[in-house]
Amino acid sequence: MVRSRRRDPHLQAGVYALDALDAAERERFERHLAECPACERELRGLTETAADLALAAEAAPPPQLRDRVLAALSHVEQDPAAAQVFDLAPPARPTRSAWHWGWWGLAAGLAAAAATVIALSVSLASVQSQLATANSEQHALSSLLSAPGTRIITARTSVGGTVTAVVAPARQKMIFITSGLPALSGARVYQVWLIGPSGIRSAGLLSWQPGGAATPLLATGVRPGDRVGMTVEPAGGTARPTTKPIVLTPFVT
Amino acid sequence: MIEPSQDDPPGGATDTAGPGTEPGLDLLLKAAAQGDQVAFEGVYDRLAGPVYGLANRIIQDQAQAEEVAQEVLLEIWRTAPRFDPARGSGQAWALTIAHRRAVDRVRSASAAARREQLQAVMSAPEPDPDVASLVEASEAAARVRNCLKSLSKPQREAIVLAYYGGYSYHEVADRLQIALGTIKTRIRDGLIRMRDCLGVQW
Repeated sequence: MVRSRRRDPHLQAGVYALDALDAAERERFERHLAECPACERELRGLTETAADLALAAEAAPPPQLRDRVLAALSHVEQDPAAAQVFDLAPPARPTRSAWHWGWWGLAAGLAAAAATVIALSVSLASVQSQLATANSEQHALSSLLSAPGTRIITARTSVGGTVTAVVAPARQKMIFITSGLPALSGARVYQVWLIGPSGIRSAGLLSWQPGGAATPLLATGVRPGDRVGMTVEPAGGTARPTTKPIVLTPFVT
Repeated sequence: MIEPSQDDPPGGATDTAGPGTEPGLDLLLKAAAQGDQVAFEGVYDRLAGPVYGLANRIIQDQAQAEEVAQEVLLEIWRTAPRFDPARGSGQAWALTIAHRRAVDRVRSASAAARREQLQAVMSAPEPDPDVASLVEASEAAARVRNCLKSLSKPQREAIVLAYYGGYSYHEVADRLQIALGTIKTRIRDGLIRMRDCLGVQW
């Protein structure tokens, strides 16, 4: 069989909607979707259509299934919703669709990785008041907050507590603030990572203030397409994450 | 998730369901996403039939289909907070999960089991005729079957192999000895025809 070199991605919407692509092709098509609103529109219609095909196969499940499923609900912890992203200033880019689709493609992987991100209603005021307490970093913080395109992303970790990333793509910087994280024994430490097309880079270790809260972390070198993750690592940190992330944000730029 | 470029209706209380979708499913999913188990009973009652039926149709084994259906329904409960009505109906969201899990199951089966499964899928274009296991075909199900019949034979064959057989389009092309591009086009054209026949609004 001759594999056509001339792949028209528009034609992939049908096979994508039927789960009939292999993993590499699926990823390629998801990337294409980010740049092709017409494909995205078509895919929605075809996905709804594919789901209708399931209706034609409808059959009565065994009656005991209902009791079993309902009894299990209490034992299944629900995932948090997707992270909320706040834009402080109008973004430099005209569209958000790339981020939108990137996150959509990511959702399945995130669920599997148990990297949990939750919707929180965070008011700007509360974030600012958190920021204000960080006296030593205050100047850096206010400079980030006033940069064009700065966004605030808040997510809950799988071990409790929340993290907030204030990201200024214009300055390639990020302030990382946490709240309510469980304290770790001296042998382990929270390590923050920037994860993106240019690889996984450590953004630093969280250090603890005498009052029991972590000191905000200032990270540089934030690049387009980065996400922020955090893992628990041996004291001193590691060059690469060695454990599952306890939180992974959507794209921060 | 906040999408600044889109105006979500306040409270998001619209049921953005297309035709053929059980009204109310989106709202029930939303309530279930808040941990409401009673609301999830409604979700179960609307989805268990298609989820189990689809798994059974693809896997061709009732015990495994039941197992997969249970996994899928619990996954729907677990991931309900991620369901975003702005991106599609709850029905499509849930049945996409169901399809993927059933396909995962058959793709991991042995080659021999897979051949048997395929034979069963292809020789049973209509769902299992075992009356006791069938719910009365809903109006939506009947409409879908009619629309499937309106496709050309090559289109229907490709879609049935891919969707109910769980085959990748490479495998479909191999089996039918037809070029990849042709299969892709048949599937897309067939689905577009189905979409228009069903009056899907998305």
